[in-house]
Amino acid sequence: MTGAIAGVASGPLGAPVVAQVTAIEASLFVFVVLTALFTALARDVLAAVIIFGAYSLGMAALYTFYRAPDVAMTEAAISAGVTTVLLLLTLAKTTRIDHEAAFESVNLPAAGAVGLLFAGLMLTMADIPAVGSRDAPIWSNPDVSQWYIAQTYAETHVENTVMAVLAAFRGFDTFGEAVVVFAAGIAALIVLHREVFA
Amino acid sequence: MSGTGSGPGGDAETTSDGGFGRDRPQRSDGRLDSERRQGTPYTESQVIMPTVKIVAPFAFTYGLFVTFHGAGSPGGGFQGGAIVAAVVFMIAFAFGIEATRQWLANAAVVALAVGGTLVFAGIGLVPVALGGAFLQYELLPIPDPVKYGMEGVEILGIGTIVAGVLIGLFFVLAKGFSDAGGFGDGGAFDDEVGNEPDVGDGNESDDGESTGDDGNETRDDNGTDDGQSAAGATGPAATDGGER
Repeated sequence: MTGAIAGVASGPLGAPVVAQVTAIEASLFVFVVLTALFTALARDVLAAVIIFGAYSLGMAALYTFYRAPDVAMTEAAISAGVTTVLLLLTLAKTTRIDHEAAFESVNLPAAGAVGLLFAGLMLTMADIPAVGSRDAPIWSNPDVSQWYIAQTYAETHVENTVMAVLAAFRGFDTFGEAVVVFAAGIAALIVLHREVFA
Repeated sequence: MSGTGSGPGGDAETTSDGGFGRDRPQRSDGRLDSERRQGTPYTESQVIMPTVKIVAPFAFTYGLFVTFHGAGSPGGGFQGGAIVAAVVFMIAFAFGIEATRQWLANAAVVALAVGGTLVFAGIGLVPVALGGAFLQYELLPIPDPVKYGMEGVEILGIGTIVAGVLIGLFFVLAKGFSDAGGFGDGGAFDDEVGNEPDVGDGNESDDGESTGDDGNETRDDNGTDDGQSAAGATGPAATDGGER
């Protein structure tokens, strides 16, 4: 499986590090890029919503491959599941128009601007450390990442560092986020002129 | 239903209302296009209903596991709460939104969202009352205070907030705008959700049921929201209520 496609990135010391991309990862990349493109280009909103759900599912699988299961779970539950359902519910209240063309016509100047931005971003890719590299600053930083990994259990008695960071080390931020979620529910009631949820 | 979808038929007609589609004859192939079809996202399905019956308990358990086991494995309150809310979405899609709305009282949804926020704030404020900082778990008067303080925040705080708010968003979006002046006939939509099976049949057989449906709209436009739900629940709600 490994070695189907080899991406080359230069390490921090200039030595090239060959990042192995498995066939599954490569196909996930292609799937995510294609679904993102179709989401932007699809003329029918219902089709765009469904393709967007597929995109989120692909991203969730990709996060799993990069060992970020917490993010993958959130992406799968919130983005692929809940957001798609809420968008479909809203779409069910609208009138669906039949389009002759399946895709939007592309605005060439806008496409050119996006292409330039994309090219500029891709130029920076050479300086980004390879996936999983032990020399990557995000991993090797002794004051932040390594400190949390080493100290989480001693300080909080939980094994999941992500949860310890969210609920303990930066618990006040999380409190603000939870209140934002609560406020979003209240805001939906106000916007829709409702007084009860169910 | 491929037999009824013989031709596009209706959608070639020109519209007299600025292309909004309200005067258009309904499509024979049952796509979302027709206006009557808009208010009826629910059709009883012999595939979806048993599938949800089997899957829902496992998904619900998994949501609780992700919430409660967040300290030892990936997950936590946010993810678990979203999965629990998604179980309610599944049930609503299988058995009808209006039926699920009556099964799950508004008080339960509000208690989840408000209770979670209060628990989170309370756990944060107890250390303040004991002379510490906000969310200073060490001061909580429980054994292993940091671990169980965090668990309390994740399970009883974040998980319940997320589950409650997502379920509430689902129901309130399904209900739509409340004023009749807002988006034209918001009240009519409430009724159509309740009468789903009738309208579904009307789409496939003839126009007789559709006119009956219009009569229901005028009747229910006079009532309050709660009255509409009760009146419109003759179809799926009655059977579902019996099952649960």
